[in-house]
Amino acid sequence: MRSDFQTSPWGRLVRSPLGALSLVTLALVIVAALVGPLIYPIDPTTPDFGAINAAPGLFHPLGTDRLGRDTLARLLAGLRISLLVAVVVEAINLVVGASLGLLAGFFGGWADALISRLADMLFAFPGLLLAILVAAVFGAWVTENYGATARLLLVVISLALVGWPLMARYVRGQVLGLRQRDFVLAARALGQRDLGILRLHILPNITGLVITAATLDVVNVIVGEATLSLLGLGIQPPSTSIGKMIVEGAPLLAQNGMLVAAPAITLTILVLLFSFLGDALRDAFDPTRGIAGG
Amino acid sequence: MTQFLTRRALSLIFVLFSLTFLTFLIGRLVPGDPILVLMGPRRDPDTYARLRHLYGLDRSLIEQYLRYVGGLLRGDFGLSFRYEGRPVRELIAQGVPISLLVGGLALALSVLAGVPLGMFAALRHNSLVDRGIVGLTLAFYAVPSFVLIPLLWALNLAAYRAGWPSLPQAGWGRPAHLVLPILVLAATNIGYITRLMRSSTLEVLRDDYVRTARAKGLRERTVVLRHVLRNAILPVLTMLGPATAFLVTGAFVVENLFTIPGIGRISIEAIGQRDYPVIQGTTIILGVTVVIMNTLTDLLYRVFDPRIELD
Repeated sequence: MRSDFQTSPWGRLVRSPLGALSLVTLALVIVAALVGPLIYPIDPTTPDFGAINAAPGLFHPLGTDRLGRDTLARLLAGLRISLLVAVVVEAINLVVGASLGLLAGFFGGWADALISRLADMLFAFPGLLLAILVAAVFGAWVTENYGATARLLLVVISLALVGWPLMARYVRGQVLGLRQRDFVLAARALGQRDLGILRLHILPNITGLVITAATLDVVNVIVGEATLSLLGLGIQPPSTSIGKMIVEGAPLLAQNGMLVAAPAITLTILVLLFSFLGDALRDAFDPTRGIAGG
Repeated sequence: MTQFLTRRALSLIFVLFSLTFLTFLIGRLVPGDPILVLMGPRRDPDTYARLRHLYGLDRSLIEQYLRYVGGLLRGDFGLSFRYEGRPVRELIAQGVPISLLVGGLALALSVLAGVPLGMFAALRHNSLVDRGIVGLTLAFYAVPSFVLIPLLWALNLAAYRAGWPSLPQAGWGRPAHLVLPILVLAATNIGYITRLMRSSTLEVLRDDYVRTARAKGLRERTVVLRHVLRNAILPVLTMLGPATAFLVTGAFVVENLFTIPGIGRISIEAIGQRDYPVIQGTTIILGVTVVIMNTLTDLLYRVFDPRIELD
């Protein structure tokens, strides 16, 4: 007998090789980012004047930058920022984007018209252009008046402004399709009310799709945050993020390659892990697929 | 066709309105009085009133927007906040051809590399070559540009140290300066176009007319160029809009890291100087470029593929 867990999408996820691998590695990365400072209690902003631009060694496993700051400590701090931004932006995309998409797709009418036109307006800006504009225009003012934490919040809002319309459009399309399916029509014919149909038939069918879409979108958010940081619009010094470390290290490539290599490799791994996990989730949630992996 | 064109025109107007209105609104929502910033330590009411009028800030918001759009239609992007009374157009004019050159060459390279690579992989389906191309383009697609940039720099540096011919790491002015930025900008799109071209070629290869062409005894060369290429390339056309959108974000990253004096770099300099009208101007230029490309591909697609219904 298979247990419920084994036949559930989550069970299928952990039994697919790529899914299990990316899940475990990602968990390790997240744990490293969270508890790293406890095990490796070097402050990422305190310079070690005895080791300026040091090569990797015993006291600084990944070396130091031109101010003598420890690269490994900065990498962990940067990783924490990148993951934090990704989680918060995806949470907003899910809460705002998925809900509005659900509302628009399920109820149609003026709610759909309003939400869809609003999303269309934001789609007029290609790629990260809107995020860049918002982060640029309000950045200095936010930092001056509300400090560094608020500046990070502005980065989150800028990226969510680009992300939620995509999520809303995706969910709307999925719900529109589901609404025409036989089991929904049958439930309606049996006299089930809107809320019941939504809870029993629509939500269970889009949850997996939405989780998959959000996971794949994390890649865009991480790269987006790195891009804003690179342009000086993201997190401000002395704090750092993976993107910012790459920009700061790039000019010093000839003297100290580790300053770029460490964050660049970390970023690539992070992007790949989220892509793999997203792909594995897509397979796991696909009900037309057989039980993979035996 | 008329109905299609009308619908396309209406949606075009809506997109252009959204782009200009939101850009205008965001610029107006900036806290603080831009005129006071512009005046610096000077504090006389006459100059204040004169500048306020010059910049049109004494009018209502709707009036300001309409004047802004009216200006845009004549190629007037308003006045700089940083350099008193200097038109934004002057500040960004030099950047436009530079960004167009870099972006245009990158787009051309992505198509010229992606189409043959994708077709070649499909024609040798499941072979080692196919797998190699798929793997390589997946890497191109997955690696963000600012990981690719330090990687290329490191390789270039190694070449320089070994005494081999190498390229300038950054800068502007000689053709050699173009090579690395164009490679970086094109990489992701090459990945995307190759994958698209490969799958559409595989599909076309299964079509009846290809079998017929082969059965007629046509040479493989003729079959591939006349029948396969011409049909398989259609989906790539639809990619040109999104590819341009991708280049827009890429321009910010690449122009800044390679110190290319294009639109992206001008924007970032303007951000540092809080010159919001310049940022608004560059945003609108970049946005409109993508709108134009999207409309063109849409029209081209319908011209090239008569099977598409002109609802």
